[in-house]
Amino acid sequence: MITSLLLTPLITALLVLCIPGTLRVPIRLVAVLGAALTAWKALWLFVATEPGMAGLQHEQLVPWAAVANFSIAYHVGVDGINIGLIFAAAFVGFAAVCVSWDIERQTKLYYVLLLTIIAGAIGAFASLDLFFFYFFNELALVPTFIMIGVWGRGAEKTQAAFKITLYLTLGAMLALGGLIALYVQSGAGSLDVVELQKHLAAHPLPRATQLWLFPLLLIGFGTLVGLFPFHSWAPEGYAAAPTATAMMHAGILKKAGLYALIRVVWPFLPDGVAAWLPLLLLLSLGNLIYCGFVAMRQKDLNLLLGNSSLAHMGFAFLGLASLTTIGLSGAVLVMVAHAFLAALGFALSGFLFARTGTLEMARFGGLLQRLPFIGAMMIACFMAGCGLPGFANFAGEVAVLFGAWKSTGAHLQWMVVAAAWGGLIIGAVYMLRAIRQVLHGKLSPEWKQLDEFRTAEELPAGEVEGHEASTAGTTLTWVLHSALGGTLWSYWRRMPYALLLILLIIFGFAPSILSTRIEPAVKEIVKAATHTSAQPAAPTPAAVAAH
Amino acid sequence: MDAHVAHTAVEAVKAVGDSGTKLQDLAWAVLFFPLVCALGTLLFARKDRMLAVGFNIGGVVLSFLLSFVLFAVYGGQRIDCTPFQWLPLEGLNATMGLHLDGLTTVMLLVVTGVASLVMIFSTGYMKDDPGYCRFFMTLSLFVFSMLGIVLADNLVMLFVFWELVGVSSYLLIGFWHEKPSAGDACKKAFLTNRIGDFGFMLGILLVWAACGTVNIGGIELAIAKDPHVLGATASLAGLLIFMGAMGKSAQFPLHIWLPDAMEGPTPVSALIHAATMVAAGVYMLCRLFVLYTVPAAWPASLDFLGGLNAATVISWIGGFTALLAALIAIQQNDIKRILAYSTLSQLGYMVMAVGLGAGLATPNPSAGMYHLVTHAAFKALLFLGAGAVIHACHHEQDIWKMGGLREKMPWTFATFGVGTLALVGCPLFAGFYSKDAIFATALESNPVLFGLAVAIACMTTFYMCRLVIVTFFGSARTESADHAHEVAGSMKWPLVALAVPSLMIAWLPLGDFLAGHFDAHYHSHGGDVLFGPFNHNALAAFFGLFAFMLGVSAAFAVYWGRSKDPLPAKLGQLSRAMRNKFYFDEIYEAIVVPVHDAAAAVADWLDRWVIGGLGVRGVTGVADFAGRALRLVQTGSIQTYTFLFAAGVVVVALLALK
Repeated sequence: MITSLLLTPLITALLVLCIPGTLRVPIRLVAVLGAALTAWKALWLFVATEPGMAGLQHEQLVPWAAVANFSIAYHVGVDGINIGLIFAAAFVGFAAVCVSWDIERQTKLYYVLLLTIIAGAIGAFASLDLFFFYFFNELALVPTFIMIGVWGRGAEKTQAAFKITLYLTLGAMLALGGLIALYVQSGAGSLDVVELQKHLAAHPLPRATQLWLFPLLLIGFGTLVGLFPFHSWAPEGYAAAPTATAMMHAGILKKAGLYALIRVVWPFLPDGVAAWLPLLLLLSLGNLIYCGFVAMRQKDLNLLLGNSSLAHMGFAFLGLASLTTIGLSGAVLVMVAHAFLAALGFALSGFLFARTGTLEMARFGGLLQRLPFIGAMMIACFMAGCGLPGFANFAGEVAVLFGAWKSTGAHLQWMVVAAAWGGLIIGAVYMLRAIRQVLHGKLSPEWKQLDEFRTAEELPAGEVEGHEASTAGTTLTWVLHSALGGTLWSYWRRMPYALLLILLIIFGFAPSILSTRIEPAVKEIVKAATHTSAQPAAPTPAAVAAH
Repeated sequence: MDAHVAHTAVEAVKAVGDSGTKLQDLAWAVLFFPLVCALGTLLFARKDRMLAVGFNIGGVVLSFLLSFVLFAVYGGQRIDCTPFQWLPLEGLNATMGLHLDGLTTVMLLVVTGVASLVMIFSTGYMKDDPGYCRFFMTLSLFVFSMLGIVLADNLVMLFVFWELVGVSSYLLIGFWHEKPSAGDACKKAFLTNRIGDFGFMLGILLVWAACGTVNIGGIELAIAKDPHVLGATASLAGLLIFMGAMGKSAQFPLHIWLPDAMEGPTPVSALIHAATMVAAGVYMLCRLFVLYTVPAAWPASLDFLGGLNAATVISWIGGFTALLAALIAIQQNDIKRILAYSTLSQLGYMVMAVGLGAGLATPNPSAGMYHLVTHAAFKALLFLGAGAVIHACHHEQDIWKMGGLREKMPWTFATFGVGTLALVGCPLFAGFYSKDAIFATALESNPVLFGLAVAIACMTTFYMCRLVIVTFFGSARTESADHAHEVAGSMKWPLVALAVPSLMIAWLPLGDFLAGHFDAHYHSHGGDVLFGPFNHNALAAFFGLFAFMLGVSAAFAVYWGRSKDPLPAKLGQLSRAMRNKFYFDEIYEAIVVPVHDAAAAVADWLDRWVIGGLGVRGVTGVADFAGRALRLVQTGSIQTYTFLFAAGVVVVALLALK
């Protein structure tokens, strides 16, 4: 089941490869259908994953390479921790493919890369073998660098592409070093997460080993998430990335780091977690408050969204640090919710950029008058971004707050105060400022002609690239357009935005759909992560009484 | 107190026990009708005005009728509806569940009743607005959120709908979003509310950590079992929860958003910023009243606060807000702003009454709740009346540019008069009785605040009579006032419908009903309801009467026959301070905003130059170095690569075999 889900975008990418590059509309159609099929399968997988059950489901294990006591296996499976992320990857992927309808330059390559990212993301989350996890994660990351370089926007796209590549590669290398060290030190002779878990439960790593291994993995994976102060790649990278890439990266790929922390680092290195918790708290404070403040200062909408997405990651880190079932479940909920939220945010800003050629907020104003649909979507999205109940983010954030509050960790309650301030107030300040600047107020004369979904002029501006090449595509789009009719066509263009928002609302109104699946899996993780070797020699009440 | 809590506990258990009957699940329908109608409008009636009106008014009226059924069937019984899971996590069982009792059913009737009338009024008032359908849809969304607050049986759900009310208010204040002032006002309202919600959330966490549940019935049980269950954080938790009420009910120092909220259409001001949303804070305090009946306790670091009770702080904040707003209202000239400050002042009254109620021999916040109900009726009436006046005068809002409207708009004048008499506490009108309940509570609990309350009542009478005299009497002072006409039926009849309860609601034993809800052993003071105040506490009743008469005579002495306000000349600097709202906006803008902005500027500078600058340069340097080093091995010859690959494999194998 998982394998067929994983193969769908890959096969679609191969199909797209076979179509001549000039036939843009067939390329788009195939890509959209492939992505839709992926989403459909992911939905099916989600439904077929039993809630309330601990342990892996739909597991599949194929031994792949074994040398002496060194083995790599293709091992996939889902439980509460990754099913939501796989679901999100498929749906955000579908939305990303749909909003890319206007890509005119090197369309074929674009879709092949995008579909590869989707496959890589699903593969990374589904893999239970660390080799394959790493492989799929890289499979998803590398195309993003290319996409920023080729289809990126803004004057600094080369610089941004360079920066994001550098940071993420270094982060991934640190993490790889950590994983290899983990493998070697564990002595389990396997890269399989389940095997490692079993082995480490019986023979935990020495405390000293855990102490040097933990920061390596935390910083390595943390960089992939944008943990303060290794975050500065994110806002610039997203600002320069083409819309679909920003959606996939901010929404999905970023979560791979967090996922690895939950799946590998927390249960395998309980002593490391306990020892390094203060550092993690300090850094997540950086995400929650500092990145929020930075977001307040941004004049560019995309930089604002990028910083705000870092601030949201602070909630996930805080949930991880709480080491409670409630908090960790909240962290997973935040990860899933933020996938839809970030994707929607970047999709909308991408739309705005495509129409206006700028994202400088001071130049906008009153756009709600010209863009009723996109504007309303933006208000909803920004409201979700400042943690409004009814959207999925709130459920996750509130669970993190409750979990961290109940946690026994030192200073955690002050962290909750800070997180609540960051989420409820700082978040609201910059989100509402953005709404006020972009959507409310007087319409500037510059945008008097701005249109939302033009029905007749929706045809691609093929002239830019080379007239002859695009004629076939233009004609086909035109045919499609007239076949669908203007209204249906505009519904179709609105669909990806609406889809993401509806998902946010569904999981916001009924987070139990996710939480009943997440909780049993997270419980196991918490059990392993709090099972420290060096139990503090606190005198038991009986011992005290005896003295 | 113990008796009350014990009773609450027993009832809570009973209610859980006999949840076999399902009629109470009608409450779900009450809650969801408005939401379904809002969604229906969004999907099917964005352009169709008739359909939108039908959907939304139909939905709210249905909710009203069902609320009435629930009230008739259950009266004051405490009943829980079948809940559904929202976020079931071990230790935090956040459900969506509804609770019905005397308090909630009365509040349901208030919310749905006023909302129905306001919506009917809006069909006329908003007739020419291009956003007609959107307006009704958002109103329905608001009603849904508000009903959620009323019905919620646990703190998480309460918080969820608390925030949803905040956002519907945001959308409605910013309804005319093309107006920059509306854009600013809705932003300000939401942010100020968020500061309150920040405290509210922390308060919820404290209560949950102490009681182990977020269910309000469960919290009542826990406190009944052990009044010290909240430990050292009892007073802190109470005050943090109160912060939520401070935001929604616009109590000092978070009061600044409410006057600006008048940027929204007038029916919105009537429903949200007078009758319901702003009363949510008071309602919430009543709902969680058990938290304010526990003995004062502070954590070690706040020990110096000693025996200071959360309820005492609340009553003083309420009293101060009431005084401040009344003073400001005296020197405002915009008809909506006068009413807005009057709302602020009355909310201060209610909050004060709840705080004082905790200090009674038998703690009972019913005076505040009683005033909430009567105030909802007459303040909605006054706002709608003001809306009719503004509509008739072509969107003129300055009372000094009106005048003589008595003859041109007789219906509006008559109903506005009823509303004013109710607000200023004229005997026989609703406000007299609910204000008297507050006076009586204050007299028993805190004589200083009683004096303050009487003084404020006097001011209230003064500025409301000023408003009526200047607007409706004398002769028209501008052309637009001269051309005013009586409004159409759709706007006239809701005024009449609201005038009825403004006059007569206190003729029902509503006060006793609410008091009985909080105190099972409550005994009515006997005698005719109309003379109840004098039987209950004659001193308080006479002071109320005295304040009314003093205010009326002062207003007539100063304003009768004037075409210009004589007070600024007499009061000088004080008048200017009152007119400028005692400069709170300016003070906040000078302190709060720059602090946040400065922090943001510092963070941004660090990000740009330290983390972004040096960090990246450092990484670039490393990468550059690594690149040079790698270039040494990157010879391009296959042999080298093969060698390196083989070496790698050997290293891995060695490590593996170790």
